[in-house]
Amino acid sequence: MSGKSLDNRRVQKFHWMSRFLSGWAIFRQSFLGKIGLTLLALFALMALCSFIPPLVDPMYQPMAGVDPEISTVTGPSTRHWLGTDFMGRDLLSQLLAGARVAFMVGVSAAFMSVFLGTAIGMIAGYMGKFADTLLMRLADIIMVMPALVVLLMLAALFGQLSIWFIVFFIALFRWPGVSRVIRAQTLSLKHRPFIEAARVAGASHLRIIFRHITPNVLPLSFLYMTFQVTSAIIIEAALAFLGFGDPRTISWGMMLQWVWKTGHMFNAPYWLLPPGICISLITLSFYMLGRAMDEVLDPRLRKEGQTD
Amino acid sequence: MGNGKQTILELDRIVKRYRTKGFFFGAHGQDVIALNEVFIKILRGEIFGLVGESGSGKTTAGRLIVRLEQPDQGKIYLDGRDITGLKGKASKDYSRRVQMIFQDPYQSLNPLLSVFDTISEPLIIHKIGNAEAREDSVWQAMKSVGLSPPHDFAHRYPHQLSGGQRQRVAIAHAMVLKPEFVVADEPTSMLDASMSAQIFNILLEMRRRLKVTFLFITHSLAAARYLCDRIAVMYKGNLMEIGPAEEVLRNPKHPYTQALMDALPKFVHSGGVKRYETLLQAEREVSGYVGCPFFVRCKVARAPKCSREKPPLKKLDDSHSVACFYAEPGIKTRSGGKA
Ligand SMILES: Nc1ncnc2c1ncn2[C@@H]1O[C@H](COP(=O)(O)OP(=O)(O)OP(=O)(O)O)[C@@H](O)[C@H]1O
Ligand code: SF4
Ligand SMILES: [Mg+2]
Repeated sequence: MSGKSLDNRRVQKFHWMSRFLSGWAIFRQSFLGKIGLTLLALFALMALCSFIPPLVDPMYQPMAGVDPEISTVTGPSTRHWLGTDFMGRDLLSQLLAGARVAFMVGVSAAFMSVFLGTAIGMIAGYMGKFADTLLMRLADIIMVMPALVVLLMLAALFGQLSIWFIVFFIALFRWPGVSRVIRAQTLSLKHRPFIEAARVAGASHLRIIFRHITPNVLPLSFLYMTFQVTSAIIIEAALAFLGFGDPRTISWGMMLQWVWKTGHMFNAPYWLLPPGICISLITLSFYMLGRAMDEVLDPRLRKEGQTD
Repeated sequence: MGNGKQTILELDRIVKRYRTKGFFFGAHGQDVIALNEVFIKILRGEIFGLVGESGSGKTTAGRLIVRLEQPDQGKIYLDGRDITGLKGKASKDYSRRVQMIFQDPYQSLNPLLSVFDTISEPLIIHKIGNAEAREDSVWQAMKSVGLSPPHDFAHRYPHQLSGGQRQRVAIAHAMVLKPEFVVADEPTSMLDASMSAQIFNILLEMRRRLKVTFLFITHSLAAARYLCDRIAVMYKGNLMEIGPAEEVLRNPKHPYTQALMDALPKFVHSGGVKRYETLLQAEREVSGYVGCPFFVRCKVARAPKCSREKPPLKKLDDSHSVACFYAEPGIKTRSGGKA
């Protein structure tokens, strides 16, 4: 008998794989998806490579490493491919480290906000009544608060914010959008006969939520994560550019702030352009990825989620 | 069904209203009365049919029985015990005894669960047996609904099954707990005729082997006649006629039941079909009346009684009851237009 169970698990794995493959087939037809994925692969490569320069020579350390022979802004050279900043720090290693920070900030803030949004949306949608009203009004309140302004005020009050605080705060501000979508999806699932069949079979609320509703909303959460990454990166960059970033981490926004503060905005394009372009491209590529995933999920959501 | 049989389930003057929302704030829509003082006793081991046109409250009755909804008035008894207020463990235990087969097999299965997982779900919920015993139960349930060989189907997902196969899975899901009472809500309305016949035979076989009692909901008189021991005819939430299926359908006493029989398609060779013509072509104009629910469409109605009073359920003989003032044993209501 255990042989059969094993068989069951294997087939299940196979089912998920075939779902993934069929999704991938649709994804591959999407032009946006291909560009987005390629760009993201490049950025991921950059983030990985950020560990190399400091190994080559300590002066390539993005934050603390200073070229002993240079103490001012210099253009690209064989020694510093992108040039150096006002203290003689290597710009390329800063740019690579910035990719790492962008991924870290983007993905972790997005993960947290999507986790919060999914949980809260499911609770509101499933419980309805008082909990629903309360949570959705809370979501409304947060949604109309400008995240950046509040963060700036906090930074003004408490001095420099650490990068993890910023990540956490972005998540706290970004969940309402996700929770609205998940709530709507949960509401539409809640009255579907297969949920009622589970109730008639005696399933507890927890079992219905985790066994029947969660797997049916997770693809949607996953989709929203890509859009959340985009906005998290932009918020962090804006904050850093305005001088309220974490001074102990190097992000692209931080690099832009240094250009600005040291007055090289218009005479050091090799310093200004790379982080600017990187911020635009990485947010764009996550956005394109999301759009392509939207195309994958949409027919499937219609086919398996809302068959009429 | 003789009198010796004991009642398993009893609906005692059940009232269920649905509040419909108005279009604007504050403006309340009218309440829909889905069930109006419905009184039904279902005997152990029988297949009890609930027939009536769309919107007559059949599904609502089923949903109340499986506790998906609560009645506004009245009580429901299983084996003499009131089940309307059950909570927690008692409610869970109840779900082991009373199950439901839903109308639309395209909606009643979770698209992300395999057939095996769907059918074993109730066993896991009620912590019945270990993994091995559960697997055996699932194979058995699958075989009994004609999903064989089981291992061909166990790992399929709903979208890989036909409508008939899906409904078999849904039946297995309801049956795997070996319930005593099953509500089958138009289980074949989405299926073709031959598939329906197979499903009916599965239900009959279940009854024979497991001694399950069924509440079979349908709008098809033919299906009711084929399957049911007794039937109740509903109209707009009211019970109109109740009695042995054969008797009610062969010799309907209520003008509404007679109208239903008239609406059946007639075939050339079906000699002896009576035409009752109890249905008015145009509805009667009435304003705020409290009389017989069928009054607006009843051809044989007699004012003022029919428009002033609601006819009670009247016993014609010891098994056949009709809610009409002018129904009489052995006499066709049609002939009563003289007074
Ligand atoms: N959730 C609800 N909200 C409001 N009204 C409802 C609801 N459920 C049912 N009703 C109303 O109650 C009445 C009875 O509905 P019910 O579904 O029980 O009818 P039915 O006999 O099963 O019909 P059908 O043969 O079409 O399935 C209908 O008028 C319907 O509009
Ligand atoms: S009570 Fe009157 S109106 Fe109602 S069915 Fe009988 S004859 Fe018709
Ligand atoms: Mg119905």
